[in-house]
Amino acid sequence: MKRIGLIVNPVAGMGGSVGLKGTDGNMYKKALEMNAKPITPERTKEFLSYIKNIENITFFTAPGRMGEDYLREINISFKVVGSISENVSAEDTKKIAEEMVKKIDLLIFVGGDGTARDIYDAVGLKKPVVAVPSGVKMFSSVFAVSPRAAAEMVDSFIKGTDLKEEEVLDIDEDAFRNNKLSATLYGYLNVPYIKRLLQSGKEASRTDKHTMEDKEGIARHIIEEMDDEILYLFGPGTTTKAITDKLNLSKTLLGVDAVFKRKLVGKDLNEEGILKLLKKYNKVRIVITPIGGNGFIFGRGNKQFTFDVIRRIGKENIIVIGTESKLRNLNCLRVDTGSLEVDKTLQGYIKVVTGYREEMMIEVRC
Amino acid sequence: MLKKYIKLNMNEMPYPPPIGIINSAKKGLSNLNRYTSQKSLEMLKNMLSDYSKAPKEHIILSSGSDLLIREMIHLFSKRRKTIVVDPTFFPITQAAKQFAPNTMKIRLSEPSFDLPISYLVDELNEQSLVVIDSPNNPTGNILLKGIEDIVETGAYLLIDEAYYEFSGIGFAEFVKDHPNLAVTRTMDKAFSLAGARIGYLIAGKTFLNDFLGFDTFLPLPGVYAAIEALKNIDYVKKNVNKIIDERKRVQKEVTKMGIGVYPSNTNFLLIKTGVPDAARELKKAGVLVFDLSNQLSSEFIRVSIGTKDENNFFLLSLEKIINQNSFK
Repeated sequence: MKRIGLIVNPVAGMGGSVGLKGTDGNMYKKALEMNAKPITPERTKEFLSYIKNIENITFFTAPGRMGEDYLREINISFKVVGSISENVSAEDTKKIAEEMVKKIDLLIFVGGDGTARDIYDAVGLKKPVVAVPSGVKMFSSVFAVSPRAAAEMVDSFIKGTDLKEEEVLDIDEDAFRNNKLSATLYGYLNVPYIKRLLQSGKEASRTDKHTMEDKEGIARHIIEEMDDEILYLFGPGTTTKAITDKLNLSKTLLGVDAVFKRKLVGKDLNEEGILKLLKKYNKVRIVITPIGGNGFIFGRGNKQFTFDVIRRIGKENIIVIGTESKLRNLNCLRVDTGSLEVDKTLQGYIKVVTGYREEMMIEVRC
Repeated sequence: MLKKYIKLNMNEMPYPPPIGIINSAKKGLSNLNRYTSQKSLEMLKNMLSDYSKAPKEHIILSSGSDLLIREMIHLFSKRRKTIVVDPTFFPITQAAKQFAPNTMKIRLSEPSFDLPISYLVDELNEQSLVVIDSPNNPTGNILLKGIEDIVETGAYLLIDEAYYEFSGIGFAEFVKDHPNLAVTRTMDKAFSLAGARIGYLIAGKTFLNDFLGFDTFLPLPGVYAAIEALKNIDYVKKNVNKIIDERKRVQKEVTKMGIGVYPSNTNFLLIKTGVPDAARELKKAGVLVFDLSNQLSSEFIRVSIGTKDENNFFLLSLEKIINQNSFK
């Protein structure tokens, strides 16, 4: 039997669909005011449902909605560690993790980069961890590519597998909200090392001459193909921004903006804003670029495109763009929308515009 | 003094051709003041026709098959969408970049590096030019096991079969029945004639008019060597088998090191070393391998299968750089 700890950050990921770009500090209250729905319950249940060797685990869990509730639901025996305050905070995560660390062989946490940071503060390299992705920002390479992949990592750990130190990165949320992406390396966590199940950390955007020329070529291609009957939703990133720059539009670098007839009709949209536009416009296309280094096109950094939005718009109306230099280091593209059903509709090969009249067909995996 | 390297970066055959072939090349050398006669070129074409089971009038000679690939892309990409795989033989990418106004690459992904045929076929029509190397360079994977689905779309299909003798799978004999099919081959690899640069195109009827007058006067020593080589290809079969045995041995040894090595149908192996800038590290150790940092990533290398001693030296060097890296 393996002794495994479980800590769920119940507010992680709530800022995503409402366009808040994170729930660190008090931002989750704002997310609640904006009617944001909790993300972690579904992610935690999905994760637990895929663990094959769950009978071989003795669980130590954080109380209530930080873990206990989910294990109780599936009738698994567990021991509760510590207590939590009414308004759970980073301090609860750290306190419980510190208390748990001596009792366990492996710690599972459900959350985003902020949670990873708290776990790092409390656990460091003392015990291995499995990170179930459920945040808004997930740029750290400690995360599994999906809850299902995280479950496979737990199973591998039980059978015995190598460990590797992976990076805990965090993004300055205030800078992020102000259109600046600034990542800090906080430290390392030990994770079961199965490369295909782990996401890579975000790579910085390239600014060399060749990449800039490619971005310009992509922008020219997309603009030439743009149809005045269609509403375009441009996702985050410098590659999409190259298009709006060429159209002389001021784009939110890290948000979702809408363009119709070459004019901005929506800025820094959240899910609600996008859904309103979907009611108004008949034909809609999403223009997105994969995250350099890990290849996610949905589910990381652009949570405003919820699985409901993606389902309504459809795979055929998704335009993926990316320079060859970005794609070179990616074996495939990835999706983790929060709905396995939507993820599956996106699976298979998709075309990526890589330059002016240049495309690459590349596999999407989930 | 120049440093001497073990050269495993160009997929050459490590064994020189038999003495009879070298003597024929020498005969050509003693007549270097003369152009190669039309008669010799025709004889070479006849022999290549017999060897590849394709009609002689469909064969076009050139100094290296890369020139023919380049010419095919130059001539037939203009009003078409050119589709290539990625990664692929570098001259294919280069020619597509230079000449093709509209291109699509199909990414071959780990772990299988297989070509998604159904997705490819969905993209094709009469306005497509498809260029595929099978076996693929650098993965060593056979990408095409059949051609019907592709040629029936009306797309132009060019297959580079530089490593045909190692894979045993080729489509040259189908050219006579499919006017939109063309195949490039070379005597550089399995025939031990890299220095002679004898490449040939076996082109379907659709392409032939555009190649009228393309035949070049190949250098005499190379033509004489190629003719002699084709008279008795037993040495080719013997050397190919030797290389395949060595390839299997090297693959097994690399697997023992706990790093990625992919199944190959060629005279080279694709290895995922886990070491950044692996090609540069091996060069420091005295072994030249092909650097794939521009196509996959810098931890990947393509290594040609050399003689047993060369391969042993390579294995030793590889193990050393892997161990050094694990302490970093």
